Amino acid sequence: MLEIPGRKEICNKFREGGGRVAAVMPIHYPRELFRAFGVLPIEVWGPPGMDISHSAAHLQPYVCSMVHNMLAFLKTGGLDCADFIIVPHACDSLQGLGSLLVDFVRPPQPVFPLYMPRGRRPEDVEFFAQEFRKLYDWLSNLTGRRPSDEQLMESILMEERADKALAKLYDLRTEVSLSVRDFYRVVRTRQYFPAEEFVSFVERVIDEYSGNPPDGVPVIMSGIVPEPMEVLDEIQNLGGIVVGDDFACCGRRVYPAGSGEDPFIRMAWRIVHGPPDVTRGDLIEERFEHLMDKVKKTGAAGMIFYTVKFCEPELFDLPDMRRRLKEAGIPSVHVEVDINDPLSHQTITRIGAFLEVLI
Amino acid sequence: MGRISAIGIDVGSTTAKIVGVDEGGELVWKYIEPAHPRVEEQVDRFLRKLEEENGPIDGIPIVATGYGRNLVHQATRKVTEITCHALGVFRQLGHGGTLIDIGGQDSKVIVIGPSGEVVDFAMNDKCAAGTGRFLENTAGRLMVKLDEMGQLALSSEEEVPISSTCTVFAESEIISMIAHGVRVEPILKGLHRSLVKRVVAMVRSVGLVPPLMLSGGVVKNPAIRKMIEEETGQKVTMPEHPQFMGAYGAALIALRGKRRTNA
Repeated sequence: MLEIPGRKEICNKFREGGGRVAAVMPIHYPRELFRAFGVLPIEVWGPPGMDISHSAAHLQPYVCSMVHNMLAFLKTGGLDCADFIIVPHACDSLQGLGSLLVDFVRPPQPVFPLYMPRGRRPEDVEFFAQEFRKLYDWLSNLTGRRPSDEQLMESILMEERADKALAKLYDLRTEVSLSVRDFYRVVRTRQYFPAEEFVSFVERVIDEYSGNPPDGVPVIMSGIVPEPMEVLDEIQNLGGIVVGDDFACCGRRVYPAGSGEDPFIRMAWRIVHGPPDVTRGDLIEERFEHLMDKVKKTGAAGMIFYTVKFCEPELFDLPDMRRRLKEAGIPSVHVEVDINDPLSHQTITRIGAFLEVLI
Repeated sequence: MGRISAIGIDVGSTTAKIVGVDEGGELVWKYIEPAHPRVEEQVDRFLRKLEEENGPIDGIPIVATGYGRNLVHQATRKVTEITCHALGVFRQLGHGGTLIDIGGQDSKVIVIGPSGEVVDFAMNDKCAAGTGRFLENTAGRLMVKLDEMGQLALSSEEEVPISSTCTVFAESEIISMIAHGVRVEPILKGLHRSLVKRVVAMVRSVGLVPPLMLSGGVVKNPAIRKMIEEETGQKVTMPEHPQFMGAYGAALIALRGKRRTNA
């Protein structure tokens, strides 16, 4: 398996270099803004396998395991290395978590709930830019820094390069020899590597692993997060290869490069015009077109919807989305998981049976 | 070599089954036992029994299915129970449609195409509600024999609604009903209805393509069959050996592989 430094290692290294760290909950936020303040955003997607007895006092059992785990992780010291906590309002559960942290749990780190627009209109961009200006002021008060527009723009350009590198990695999926799991381990370093390290890491991976891609039935996965990551090994063992994804933590955040001189508008525009995302209020028509476009580009034979239990935004669209795909001749399967459970026999059987259908 | 040309083994959660088919794909030998926790030993025993009754099995292809399929080291191939059930039922009934298979640990709804291919499917979650285990657990609590549950349920005019679809909560609800003096038969009828509604919800999630077919151990229970017909408004058909459809489908896949190799 490819050797990749983990979050803790990167966090410690960055802090040793004099930087600060922000723990950022899913899904969308302006990485470039943090970096302009010398802060490394490290994303918290669970992590899986937590003891949720630590979050049970604050959250109902039917809140998704992602949000349960974020709170349990915080309460068991997992975020001790972070200087700040950011909670974007991606869904009701995350908004609830933001409120809980601010009003009741009160962790030692300052918490910023980041409100998101729901749409792609110019006023949505302006709203988000305004939120980023508030975040700028908040970070300014805490760090004593006030990065100039030029410094912000420099940071934006670096993140745009990193997003371009991520897009290139996706484009070359069927031309690199990485296993399905290793490919996603590389993709997910975007969640915690500094952009400049991510760019050089991806370039090195593309060079070292070019040629001999794994063979298999091409499928696309959609959902929040591919956890436990053993599921990717199983897909490959069962004769499949993931040639694209619509994961909130991966493919839904390949943001386009922006334009314009106002750094706040540019940062906001990039996220608002990213790949369609149900948590950002994009219409099912846009998501469907986006998925069909991915199917055409990658030659995928089917879609695996791999969702976290109780994830309302993902589940809202699902029956209609699957119906549309079916009508378009694209078979799909839905698998629900709790990120604290080991990969179950039922999950493997569902995916196995689906791949048998495609083969 | 005897009359058996291919072997299918279905290691389920409640029972393990083995089937032998002849050169034409006819089911000519079958055997079933409660599932043993030591799968390898049980499969060894199955194969010895098959040899004793049918002659040597050297060179005969074996396909394994069911949740224990990966422990069947003798198998030349492992295939999921979804594909195997679809093939087995298609071969026995001769048509596609929607198959409901209620097993001990999971339930499946499989839409089978006109050539026996799987078009779509749904499986119950890890939860035991909607499976044979749901009935087994509650049979114990009500001190009723499992194979009498269906008849008893049907004997009652009255039906008590069971609100819980969770096995554990259902048990608590039953205890509460017994404490309030409710008779066993109406409770049983409500329990069957609860299970059937769960299964029918899966049918609706994939979309019912008639005709409706049933397989799996639980279909021996007449109340399940009758209530599925009531809830879906569809007449249900069943293969001759509903419990063996997974193993039968596995054997048919083994036979197909053998034919390809020999061709």
